[in-house]
Amino acid sequence: MNRYTLSRREFLAQLGLVTAGAMLTACAGPAAPGGAAPAAGGGAAVSVAGDREIAPGVLRSETLILENPTGRVVPADDFNRWRPGIQSASTGLQQLALDALWYIDPDAGIDGVWDNSLAAEKPIYNEDFTQMTVKLREGIYWSDGVEFTAEDVAYTVETLKATPGMNYNGQFNKYVASVEIPDKYTVVFNLTEPNSRFHGLFTVRWSACFIMPKHVFEKQSDIVAYTFNPPVSLGPYVLKDYDPQGDWYLWERREDWQRTTLARFGMPAPKYAMYINAGPSDKKVMAQTSGELDVIHDIAPEGMITLARTNPTSKGWFKSFPWAHPDPTLPSVIYNNEKPGLDNRDIRWALTLAIDIVRVAMASYRGAATISAIHVPPTGLYPGYYFEPMQDWLNNFTLDLGNGEQYKPYDPDAAQRIAEEARKSLGDMVPTDLAEIRKAIGYGWWKHDLEAAEKLMLKAGCTRNAAGKWVLPNGEVFKIALMAEGDTRPVMNRGAAMIVENWSEFGVDASLDVRDNATRARLTLLGEMDAEFGWTVETWGGHPDLFFFLESWHSSFYRPTGENAVGRNRMRWRHPELDRIIEAIQRLDFDDPKGIELGQEFIKLAVNEMPITPIMSYNVFSVCDERYWEGFPTAENPYTNPVANWANTKYMYVKIKPKA
Amino acid sequence: MLAVFRDLLRYDGRFRVASLFLMLTLLLAALAWFSPYPPTRTFMTPQDLPPSLEHPFGTNSRGQDLLWWMAFAVRNSLILGVITAVVSRLIAIFVGLVSGYRGGFIDRALMSANDSFVVLPVLPILVLLSFLLQGQLSLVTLALLLGLFGWPWDARLIRAQVLSLKERAFTRTAVYSGTPPLLLTLREHLPFVLPVVFATTINNMLWSIGMEVTLSVLGLSDVTVPTIGTTIFWANQHQALVAGVWWWLAAPILVAVVLFLGLYLLFSSVNEFIDPRTRLRRIGA
Amino acid sequence: MRKFVLNYLVPRIAQYILVIFLGVTLTFIIPRLSPNDPVERQVSQLMMSGSHVSPEAIIAMREALTEMYGLSGSVWEQYLAFWGRLLRGDLGPSLSSFPTPVIQLLATAMPWTFGLLIPAILISWIVGNVLGAIAGYYENNRAIQIVDILSQAIRPIPYYIVALVMLAVFAYWIPIFPFSGAYPPGTRVEFSWSFAWTVLRHSILPLLSLILLGVGGWFVGMKSLTSNIISEDYVVYAEVTGLPKKRILSQYIIPNAMLPQITGLALQLGLIFSGALIMEVVFGYPGMGTLTFQAVMANDYTLIMGITLLSIIGVATAVLILDLIYPLFDPRVRHQ
Repeated sequence: MNRYTLSRREFLAQLGLVTAGAMLTACAGPAAPGGAAPAAGGGAAVSVAGDREIAPGVLRSETLILENPTGRVVPADDFNRWRPGIQSASTGLQQLALDALWYIDPDAGIDGVWDNSLAAEKPIYNEDFTQMTVKLREGIYWSDGVEFTAEDVAYTVETLKATPGMNYNGQFNKYVASVEIPDKYTVVFNLTEPNSRFHGLFTVRWSACFIMPKHVFEKQSDIVAYTFNPPVSLGPYVLKDYDPQGDWYLWERREDWQRTTLARFGMPAPKYAMYINAGPSDKKVMAQTSGELDVIHDIAPEGMITLARTNPTSKGWFKSFPWAHPDPTLPSVIYNNEKPGLDNRDIRWALTLAIDIVRVAMASYRGAATISAIHVPPTGLYPGYYFEPMQDWLNNFTLDLGNGEQYKPYDPDAAQRIAEEARKSLGDMVPTDLAEIRKAIGYGWWKHDLEAAEKLMLKAGCTRNAAGKWVLPNGEVFKIALMAEGDTRPVMNRGAAMIVENWSEFGVDASLDVRDNATRARLTLLGEMDAEFGWTVETWGGHPDLFFFLESWHSSFYRPTGENAVGRNRMRWRHPELDRIIEAIQRLDFDDPKGIELGQEFIKLAVNEMPITPIMSYNVFSVCDERYWEGFPTAENPYTNPVANWANTKYMYVKIKPKA
Repeated sequence: MLAVFRDLLRYDGRFRVASLFLMLTLLLAALAWFSPYPPTRTFMTPQDLPPSLEHPFGTNSRGQDLLWWMAFAVRNSLILGVITAVVSRLIAIFVGLVSGYRGGFIDRALMSANDSFVVLPVLPILVLLSFLLQGQLSLVTLALLLGLFGWPWDARLIRAQVLSLKERAFTRTAVYSGTPPLLLTLREHLPFVLPVVFATTINNMLWSIGMEVTLSVLGLSDVTVPTIGTTIFWANQHQALVAGVWWWLAAPILVAVVLFLGLYLLFSSVNEFIDPRTRLRRIGA
Repeated sequence: MRKFVLNYLVPRIAQYILVIFLGVTLTFIIPRLSPNDPVERQVSQLMMSGSHVSPEAIIAMREALTEMYGLSGSVWEQYLAFWGRLLRGDLGPSLSSFPTPVIQLLATAMPWTFGLLIPAILISWIVGNVLGAIAGYYENNRAIQIVDILSQAIRPIPYYIVALVMLAVFAYWIPIFPFSGAYPPGTRVEFSWSFAWTVLRHSILPLLSLILLGVGGWFVGMKSLTSNIISEDYVVYAEVTGLPKKRILSQYIIPNAMLPQITGLALQLGLIFSGALIMEVVFGYPGMGTLTFQAVMANDYTLIMGITLLSIIGVATAVLILDLIYPLFDPRVRHQ
């Protein structure tokens, strides 16, 4: 029996078997699709035929229900998005109520990757990047009827700059000398030093510096303590109601939604939006199957597979396998480049060749991974910018194995091999067409070649002891504890467990070290680790500029092991060539096509040195249910990211339509 | 001793079932030493096969045979439970008996220490300690820690029992007839205290193994070591329940139920044996 | 009376204060030994949130947060400041939910935890003890033997699975109970019959799941206590005089076996302050569990202190009251 062709009925029955045993099987009635929805609105009144209220006066058919991945928000009533540690960011607050100057889409974008949101045009820099001018849109209003003007922008920057402890306080103090308002719709930032990426602070990719309502905040004596409740919106929705316990937030479309920036693309279709704490993965699957949850933020691959075969209206980013949305992040094996053994490029390369990417993809994602051999995420428009153009170079890339042997480590067919392996259990869901495979699973990866790895270890002066374990030239047994994320992201520790297994097979004394997020962040920042499976490479996604993560890789921000890393250089990698590339990028305009060339130079350097081993993108299993709404973003129609906590998902609201 | 065992087997149905269940559990635990697969290896078998003759417990989504995995799991969970139980029992019996019997200042000092432990919320502190030990929280360390936190409740129960025993006629008779306090405690009080100790031992093992499950479900234990808790952790990570791989969750449940039913039946049977009056009563009834 | 106060009450209350002092001090020290640090957590959260943060900004933020959270002095200064604040009745602001006062967080979550856990514990306690006493007394009754085995067979099943399975069966497969939460969206928390009914309906599944696993422990304890007592002379005597069995059970056996169970109840009630985390996660039920977990994970010193302080005072007070009223339950102790 092929387990993946179970019908919905069988699935329910099976779930029942697991849960109730034979005793309850007697009362097994068929669950009516959709109709049997558990009354989350407990005793909810049915007002229209086939429709019902999910809250007083709020019809299910007029509401988009999304998962807030933060879970329970504590405290529930704090909406001051400008204070660090705020819990309520993705309750709809940053998606629906706040707005920023610019948005960069991680995918293709609703009207191109770049969107001028509150700004009327792109940032205007002077010759030496010491001044940035912003032209603002006219006719945009706060939800309390006050007009949005340059005053709000200037107030936001000046207030945050003057208030220690607020977000962006450090950045604005470092970069902003003064702010001028030549007219109602123009803001001029005088910068303390040349900075061609200053607009990055105001450009949403997940989040950015949102604009504060001056007329609300200026009445507050203590900005840090202020809770901004109820929030005054600049976006198209206002807060209608929320749970004092922080489990749900209900937003209502503004009467004057036309006076918001999103109106350029039409009316947001849902009259209401509700962001909920959806609970454990199993519960999310049940909720979506019964029509209680339109957008799941993320679940384990098996949950996606279950939904795909039992709930025909559930849609992933890809129509079928691998479903998930590749986020512009790059889970990698991040070595501490200062630990004995790991400070040697040949050993890092040996470890890379000891990894069997097919098994890692199978263990972590059941094959639904999007792999990357190079140091940028294989997502958004990056295949076109970096992957496609560099295939030739990768095919010809050689390593010196030490005995004079030149070795070509690139395996251009890795993605096909993963597809083949996945097909064993998922059958026809897995594409066979090469172009489809590249889009879904990626390009090639490094060969799994223990022989070549062996030679590299020997070249580095390592030997094997009696037990067959590798011993470093200094006489110590080569040990690696690979740190990984705990249960918050199942695929991450599943992948890490497989990498550890691969290394053990190669004779490395490797172990898996699963830590909670806080501890992991602390230890990795300090460099108290051998290696970590996590990400330090993150990009804009749609835009080719790599400065997003590269800035803090410059050696001026290097901190030795034992001191907290500032920024993303947790692997503690320094290279003169790297500094040159970073400085060159900094001198370029954001959109200068030379940026891509420099990006490719960076990739060649990183491949050669292998300071971290890139594995794949973090694929988010965002599942949208087309029972009540259709037109969600997908790989075929990639107008934005469906991952519900991204502020960019606001574009989804104008593209979805009620199901006919 | 052997004769006792034989008698119990012959006359007490509960003892027979208990022996069977515990034998099965121990047998499964012993299998761990003969496992063809090391517990840390994955993808050694096909994924997600339901229970069959070849794989009695089925295989999981990590390509592991659940029978062998459970062998390791039950062995490790048993080790944890037993260490915790022994450590906490020793402390609890000592503190409970001494405090209850001696009274006065010693009682107050011991009960102050006892209560200081009672009031500490264990789960948050365990989580904090697991941070403190920086991933060094091995199964044995965890067991010892739980042992250190698991006694005060039972010590209080034992003390309460002794307090009430002290007032009984036979204690006074013994005291007046010059029995030394220690001997009195051991000879006269311990038999009354032991059923409480046994009952609380099962509770204690349930508590410690349950604590391990909670820590594992939250991903705070060493998830590469097979235990009942980490089995559930990995099953959750692969959404076994909704993915229909029910045997992945059924295996730890089955093993835990068999183990604890076995223990429970054993203890009720042994309790009765220890207290001859109850046994007589039962036969008489 | 004077003797009672001097020899019993005064030392007992001194012990009470000592226990609270020791407990609080321990929970002040332990989180500070932990390598996790609330400031670093905020910093890393910001860095991992995916927005663009320049390296200098991080350095500035570290300093600002340390100052703002009041963590800049030595541990000793912080400890003195803590007692100073506490004696003024101020638990301070939560660090992970800065600047919301800890007391406000507790006040939001506490009623739900109390409302669910107190009934759950009391019902488990009563059911477990009554059944346990019956099982101990009527040893050969078939029905009670089945209850006996069943109650012990359910106990070892991990709570997470029991809860999830109950949810899947009674809220999804046969949707007769609500799927999540303590009340539906859009409902105002108010004192009305309809709201009370809604809350009751939402609490049934979590309540049942807690009781299902809670009964077994009391059951075993009571059963063994009862079988201990039934061979006592006074019980044998009562039986010989031909008193009805029910009366013997309710008037002779249960009161005499109760003492340890009452101790257990007091302790159990004291432990509810840290909530039932997994119940809250599975049923989406509000309460202290999530708060405690958040506090520990973020190493939110002030919130941890707030919760443990309540927990410590709660348990210590329960134990104190128990010791003071022991004599009422057991006249034999009174003589001493």
